[in-house]
Amino acid sequence: MSFSFNNDNNRKIDLIRKRYPEKKALILPLLWLAQKQESYIREDAMQFISEFTEMPYMHVYSVATFYTMFRLKKPEKRVIEVCRTLSCALNGSEEIKQHLDSKYSDKFEIVEVECMGACSGAPMCTLDGKYIENLTPNMIDEVLNAN
Amino acid sequence: MQTKIVSKNFEIPQSHTMDVALKNGRYASLDRLFTNKPQEVIDVISKSGLRGKGGGGAGAAGKWQLASDHDGIKYVVVNADESEPGTFKDRQILAHDPHLLIEGIIAACYAIGSNTSYIYIRGEYEEFSDILQSAIDEAYEKNILGINAQYLVDITIHRGAGAYICGEKSALLESLEGNRGHPRLKPHTPQPEFYFGEPTLVTNVETIASVPFIIENGADAYRAYGTDLSPGTLLFALSGNITNPGVYEAEFGVSMLEYIETMGGGVKNGKKLKAVIPGGASTPILPASMLKDARLDYESLKSLGSALGTGGMIVLDEDVSMVKALKNLLRFYHHESCGQCTPCREGTSWVDKTLDKFIAKTATQEDLEILKSVSGTMNGKTICVFAPAVSGVINGFLKHFENEFLECIV
Ligand SMILES: Cc1cc2nc3c(=O)[nH]c(=O)nc-3n(C[C@H](O)[C@H](O)[C@H](O)COP(=O)(O)O)c2cc1C
Ligand code: SF4
Ligand code: FES
Repeated sequence: MSFSFNNDNNRKIDLIRKRYPEKKALILPLLWLAQKQESYIREDAMQFISEFTEMPYMHVYSVATFYTMFRLKKPEKRVIEVCRTLSCALNGSEEIKQHLDSKYSDKFEIVEVECMGACSGAPMCTLDGKYIENLTPNMIDEVLNAN
Repeated sequence: MQTKIVSKNFEIPQSHTMDVALKNGRYASLDRLFTNKPQEVIDVISKSGLRGKGGGGAGAAGKWQLASDHDGIKYVVVNADESEPGTFKDRQILAHDPHLLIEGIIAACYAIGSNTSYIYIRGEYEEFSDILQSAIDEAYEKNILGINAQYLVDITIHRGAGAYICGEKSALLESLEGNRGHPRLKPHTPQPEFYFGEPTLVTNVETIASVPFIIENGADAYRAYGTDLSPGTLLFALSGNITNPGVYEAEFGVSMLEYIETMGGGVKNGKKLKAVIPGGASTPILPASMLKDARLDYESLKSLGSALGTGGMIVLDEDVSMVKALKNLLRFYHHESCGQCTPCREGTSWVDKTLDKFIAKTATQEDLEILKSVSGTMNGKTICVFAPAVSGVINGFLKHFENEFLECIV
């Protein structure tokens, strides 16, 4: 079935389209909505956005691939992102990553990311996009076993 | 040592909701605002000496004036991209006092003659973006924003999607126009930024959040804090090897070491201080031996060969390997270069890889020369200041800790 936004998202789009002087500016907001709706950005979603914003498909595609948070493939597992930048590294992010890799890599996709703006809670990670700060291996076990 | 102007309401329960915000003085500056002419508002900001709090520290009023001098449609774009490692201050405003930000945006729009504002917020800050959106919705319900307000302002949140470079103001505008976040070539004469060709003020969250205090209490009240050249306060922050990491607002000009001791509780686990990266990862590192007289203002840190940046201090203790610390940062810059300029794209990749040899202790004297010469080519021949900043980071480590790099040479 070809891509279309659901009713809820169509209502949101009606509201935001008036907020920008040109349709092109809707590309990021629409990519976000498409990703929220389907868990990733399908090719036909980009086609839809290209027609909606009257921009070439290649433009939409090149924008979608520039930003690391947009996913063009369906995620197979839930995602854990571990921050690896300096403040987290100084507080043991490497051990956290190893702990996750050794115990949870079959159930979760574990990726390293750069500073998430949560350096006072170092080391930190996200689970499904939600921040978890001041991590210890024990805490990871508790959170992941409860989830 | 703590001085709470912007952070005054942070600890009040439910401070992000309209009822609590109103009870605690939010939107009180609007009455005063509208008794002034727009130019008078810019003049007050100018007298207050308010400087941009996104890292550069340029005078705020100058940018307001540039935008104001144009006729027609104009925009106020708030930079909430906050991706500089070691920096996590703007999120405190978004989470604990979003109405303060809205109040400041109304003042900026009124002053420069704009009716439209965008808040560009990093994609990872979804939680804070939701809090901010509720606050904006409440402000529309109360007719503080929108067509029925005393002065029409519409605010739209625009979420980024994971790209450090989008914090650079022209890359941010490219992103806001629906493009890749590539910085634009800078004009040679002072100009505002442009969003779809219309004059635009791009400014940091905390800068805007400092405005209501100045409107309400006057320029002198703001100047009562800080130093002559760096007036007011900043949401300074501590992370790394520190006992109490966090954001603690203080006047400009306080002693860095005292701040680290009093607010941060000193270096973690009773270790000795080795160095501080004073204002986000992109400011050159300073060894502890140079910090005795270091003050937290633009002038003091500049005179020491570094910069105040975002005020987000990364504290490093005696056990930290400077080779590993630099490798960590160069991996970050390699990952985040937007790739437009050859010296930056190739240079960040090269220095990142060269550092691997130092980590493995297989580096040669030539590798050290490579680090220095690549750092040289990155300085000043690029579209934006990302590459020169990387150069400054490398030079700082080599200047103060070269012996640790020499020890890795076979
Ligand atoms: C690579 C790079 C990243 C930047 N990131 C941010 C950022 O995340 N937030 C921010 O406010 N300013 C950032 N800036 C500074 C902005 O370009 C701009 O100067 C600032 O938003 C202006 O606001 P101010 O005058 O209120 O400080 C960055 C600059 C560069 C070169
Ligand atoms: S200096 Fe680097 S980040 Fe800046 S425009 Fe050039 S390639 Fe992009
Ligand atoms: S370094 Fe990990 S959140 Fe900033």
